[in-house]
Amino acid sequence: MNHLSAETFDQNAREALLDPQLRGALRNLASVFGERRKVAVTTVPDWEGLRERARVIKDETLAHLDQYLETFADNAAQAGAQIHWARDAAEACGIVSELLRERNATRVVKSKSMATEEIHLNEALEAAGLFPVETDLGEWIIQLAHETPSHIVVPAIHKSKRQIAELFAEKLGIELSDDVAVLTSAARRILRQRFAEAEVGISGVNFGVAETGTILILENEGNVRLTTSLPKVHIAVMGIEKIIPRLIDLDVFLKLLPRSGTGQRLTAYQSLITGTKRRSDEEGPEEVHIILMDNGRSRMLAHPITRQSLACIRCGACLNACPVYQQVGGHAYGSVYPGPIGAVITPQLIGLSKTAQLPYASSLCGACREVCPVKIDIPELLLHLRAEVVEGAASGTVEPVTRKPLERLIFRSYAFAWSRPRLYEWGGRVMRVLQRPAMRDGRIGKVGGFLSALVPPLGAWTAWRDARPLAHRSFREQWRDQQKDH
Amino acid sequence: MIKSANEDVRGEMLASIRRELAASKPHDIIRNQHAGHQTTRIQPAVSTTDGDEATIPVIERFAEALTAVAGHCAVVADEVQAAEVLRHIIERTKAVRIALSDSILVQRVVEKLDRNLELLANPSAAELFDCDIGITSAQWAVAETGTLVLESERERHRLVSLVPAVHIALIEATSIRHTLEEVLEGINESGREGLSRTVTFITGPSRTSDIELTLAIGVHGPAELYVIIVEGPDNG
Repeated sequence: MNHLSAETFDQNAREALLDPQLRGALRNLASVFGERRKVAVTTVPDWEGLRERARVIKDETLAHLDQYLETFADNAAQAGAQIHWARDAAEACGIVSELLRERNATRVVKSKSMATEEIHLNEALEAAGLFPVETDLGEWIIQLAHETPSHIVVPAIHKSKRQIAELFAEKLGIELSDDVAVLTSAARRILRQRFAEAEVGISGVNFGVAETGTILILENEGNVRLTTSLPKVHIAVMGIEKIIPRLIDLDVFLKLLPRSGTGQRLTAYQSLITGTKRRSDEEGPEEVHIILMDNGRSRMLAHPITRQSLACIRCGACLNACPVYQQVGGHAYGSVYPGPIGAVITPQLIGLSKTAQLPYASSLCGACREVCPVKIDIPELLLHLRAEVVEGAASGTVEPVTRKPLERLIFRSYAFAWSRPRLYEWGGRVMRVLQRPAMRDGRIGKVGGFLSALVPPLGAWTAWRDARPLAHRSFREQWRDQQKDH
Repeated sequence: MIKSANEDVRGEMLASIRRELAASKPHDIIRNQHAGHQTTRIQPAVSTTDGDEATIPVIERFAEALTAVAGHCAVVADEVQAAEVLRHIIERTKAVRIALSDSILVQRVVEKLDRNLELLANPSAAELFDCDIGITSAQWAVAETGTLVLESERERHRLVSLVPAVHIALIEATSIRHTLEEVLEGINESGREGLSRTVTFITGPSRTSDIELTLAIGVHGPAELYVIIVEGPDNG
């Protein structure tokens, strides 16, 4: 289940569905984070107002991103940070490895960062003979197992306690234990050593404040604080969309992000770092480097629909709420960013030619849009990208996403009938008669029932779940009767 | 103006952003007409207060929020009592080596301890790895979330509050505010020059849910957090 490609989402998803352990973990995720989020949003008086305000702040920033980015860069530089600009992944990785090489640094610790995952920084550094140590517990587990993250907040969600215990026993030589506290303290003990000797710390950035040049990083474990406090050099990799105008705007985002992501009022730690220390006897690194990275982001500015992708604050709420993610997990998306937001961001970052299936990895149910703390209309984005897939297929630049002939036929007939009221009504009546023999206990199918065996095309649906039968009388019929009575 | 490490790329990236934003203009006009989207004006702040300010005293509110995230809170009338609480915590955790920040409040309270303890004022990073407890103050606290706010310009507490397994914070009751918003305004009151190079928000002990979403306390930061609020003679 690893290093899958987005090109084969359909196949990846089918395989993931056959993994009962993965599906159990995903059910747990959806219920635990889903429920916690629901409770957490009631602890602020005006959740909708907050979402609206967050989106307005993001829209305003993105509409003038050039100016805010310059202000940020100038203020951070004034405070002593060194600013580097990177057009793409290769440039960003190049800057990091050059900084390490110049300083002869080999002992590098890293905190969790989606931006560095996106550019495959670890692979790039390994090619240069450097082996940065991931210090977030989930990321460290993934690194030990040579896997990739499957969730943007809890990267090792696909692994069971048992698997992690076995991994630790094998790689670290500790006794097999399925006590989470024991596993966690083993991680603390071993990683302390890495922190103590580290020469360089690499982190991501959650928000960059233009008016002060401050970067803010959120976390729960304390590894970000250690990574950014102990080593002599701190390198922060930051997407250009992370900018917000004012320090006070953090109030809005700090209320939204933890509640949406993990259901916390606030994560355990926030580090606000403005440049580097002023006096030599101050604590903290001597050098702070901020790498401002585009890597496909500026392209998204060119249309208001795609631009909203850049408002994303990486909370993970849309993953937890998505019925597709809940079934197939993160690896099936074959990309660093999974779930609904991944299905819209990945094709924009790396192009539709390799990711044409992703905009279709959704039922367009809208659950993602409902939970998004910055009100990104993900279904709208998915449709926009589907249109691009169709256009690309017509001009030959994108591999068309093909449906089976029978499925195509069913959808065509469906569209034909639905656009003709009389035919639709007549069809409904016929279906109500036809469904009778397939019904048991008021449902159609009863998983494993005879329908799934007998009728192949429909059985594909009912093999895994029941279908809702049509109501005894349609709404339109009931309406007409009501009208007659009056 | 201080230059970036690679000025040429800066220019190109900013030009690319401007180019793409310009390309969006016709689409923006259509979208604004159709959907009534307002994309260029910051709306007035929504009220994020919940009325708890009026009903719950700030100290109680802070203590409640901190306890909810597995932190411990004690409210004492003066520094003598604070030393008493401190002594209890030290005994209970069987701590031997104790790291101290350079806070005057911390120094005054620690002086009242009569036991033979190894106290390290302003320890180095290497020394901190062998300390059992770190004692600091904090410049602000947020009642709505149970958060401590540490400003690096006003105290040397960045590592003392982080490396040892137990963190004890002695704070004055007057430093507590109801909301995060008030503190964000406070730390940036005198503009960019007044803003500390590092401001750290701490809400409860270090935690993780990375293994099967099971909560584990104390992964990389302190596993225990105690906040002792000193009301002081003026606040009695």
